Amino acid sequence: MNRQELFVRAFFLSILLIALGFAAGCGGSVATGTTSSGGTTSPGSGSGSGNGSNVLALAVNGGPEAATGFVYQNAAFASATICAPGSTSNCVTIDNLLVDTGSTGLRIFASEVASLNLPAITATNGSGAYDCISFVDNSYLWGPVERADVTLGGETASGLPVQVISSANTGVPSSCSNGSTENDNSVELLGANGILGVGNEPSDCFFNGGSACDPSSGLSTPPSPAYYTCSGTKCSPAFIAAADQVANPVALFPTDNNGVIVELPSASSSAASLSGSLVFGIGTESNNQLPSSATVFTLACDAFTTVFGGQTFGVTDTATCAGPYSFIDSGSNGLFFPNVTNIPECSSNIAQGELDGFYCPTTTETLSATMEGEDGASHATSFSVGNADTLLLSAGTASDAVQPTMAGMNPVGYGFDWGLPFFYGVNVYSSIDGQRVPSGAPAAPWWAY
Amino acid sequence: MNASLRVTPHDTYEVHEIQAPGGTVVDEYVSASGTVFAVTWHGQFPPPMEQILGTYFQQYSTALQTRPKMYGHRPLNIQEQGLVVQTAGHMRAHFGRAYDPNLLPPGLTVSEIQ
Repeated sequence: MNRQELFVRAFFLSILLIALGFAAGCGGSVATGTTSSGGTTSPGSGSGSGNGSNVLALAVNGGPEAATGFVYQNAAFASATICAPGSTSNCVTIDNLLVDTGSTGLRIFASEVASLNLPAITATNGSGAYDCISFVDNSYLWGPVERADVTLGGETASGLPVQVISSANTGVPSSCSNGSTENDNSVELLGANGILGVGNEPSDCFFNGGSACDPSSGLSTPPSPAYYTCSGTKCSPAFIAAADQVANPVALFPTDNNGVIVELPSASSSAASLSGSLVFGIGTESNNQLPSSATVFTLACDAFTTVFGGQTFGVTDTATCAGPYSFIDSGSNGLFFPNVTNIPECSSNIAQGELDGFYCPTTTETLSATMEGEDGASHATSFSVGNADTLLLSAGTASDAVQPTMAGMNPVGYGFDWGLPFFYGVNVYSSIDGQRVPSGAPAAPWWAY
Repeated sequence: MNASLRVTPHDTYEVHEIQAPGGTVVDEYVSASGTVFAVTWHGQFPPPMEQILGTYFQQYSTALQTRPKMYGHRPLNIQEQGLVVQTAGHMRAHFGRAYDPNLLPPGLTVSEIQ
């Protein structure tokens, strides 16, 4: 282990010690008032007709750990009010939830909702269900599935199955941890007070028209790492009914439930922060109509094609979802794509973390790529790639939450990940599989801009 | 895991396709001498890493721990003597490859390992 790695680890550990020194209850910024980090649950700009606002404020503000020096770049945060089912008084408001169009479901820390005593959801074998979710780097989240009433803006999902992230580091089955010791079960480790997954599926195991986690899937054993039940400290994969799986809150709204629009202002260079909106519903209110000028990209495997550098990054087999496919994802905090145009890559580790894997061109490069839907709709877009070292080391930009030119590698042979920088200045529409779409639009899921 | 679904021959190696529980497809790249020199996967769930990495699993697990922390889950790019592990995708959409650079058959390029 070299000195640089030790330095970064020591720096991070010192941050943990500072966090522990705070008063108890800092496992999440459980705000009953407002915080400077933005995201409130009062109606924002833009009015929906009927039941209340379909707009949730978004803030790209560096997240709840920014104040301690650890900025979470290119991440959009929002607030949710979570109540015990059927209650309007036994509630908490949690801000700084990471808004993620690339995942499904609300995931919050146990300490944030302990006072609500949310009811446990059982798997089909009658025992309490646990969910395990892996991130792309094989870090993970683990914890029980519980039911809550969740309000986002003026919309409420009643009886929503959510993942409550356990603070325990023991008792996680090895098929869940799967060789990783990175259990992101605290604000300090995750960089957010939770994750608000509002992606293309109605629940977190639903894919390609069915749910492998539901017993009706016909699988002889439940998939893993997915849902589990536990007997003492021994946890085993379990089936769970589709209706009980961790669900997309938007899909359970009574109205405005067929998708979302991420609306963020443009950002041509780094900025401290910016604000925008997450609008619920597509074509259901006066503020969420799909413009006729928009390109609608139908998806296969919740993915589409990007043509870049003379190569095509799409699904090659829709049955197995093989191929170097591409996707739009607000939960990715940069543009990640294979280095087919020979952009210089960063080599240094700096105090803020591992930069190996980001791009470091000598001057900012402007590149272009074409996105294609499965039915052939296409749209070209240009994007900029800046020097990640310079951005994160220069005093003027190092603490900026908005980094539109931050980009990094996807390994050779994999596709194009259009993360949050793509969203700056582009209203991105994302529809939910199985939900009704505006007349004239293709069947969901699709993205449009 | 289940027995091979499909074997695809190439000049200097074969690819054995296996399905892990939950549908994740795992491809094992087997040299002429019968050594598995690379593994790739894609699916809703990551494959059981200890099972597919075998004796390389401990090195992989240690490499994960020595990654300095930075917010934002990014693709893995472990490049070590004797082990490369790379991933792509997002929650419930996992891609990856693992290989031993010392064991690649002559003439094989990394982009063939998908």
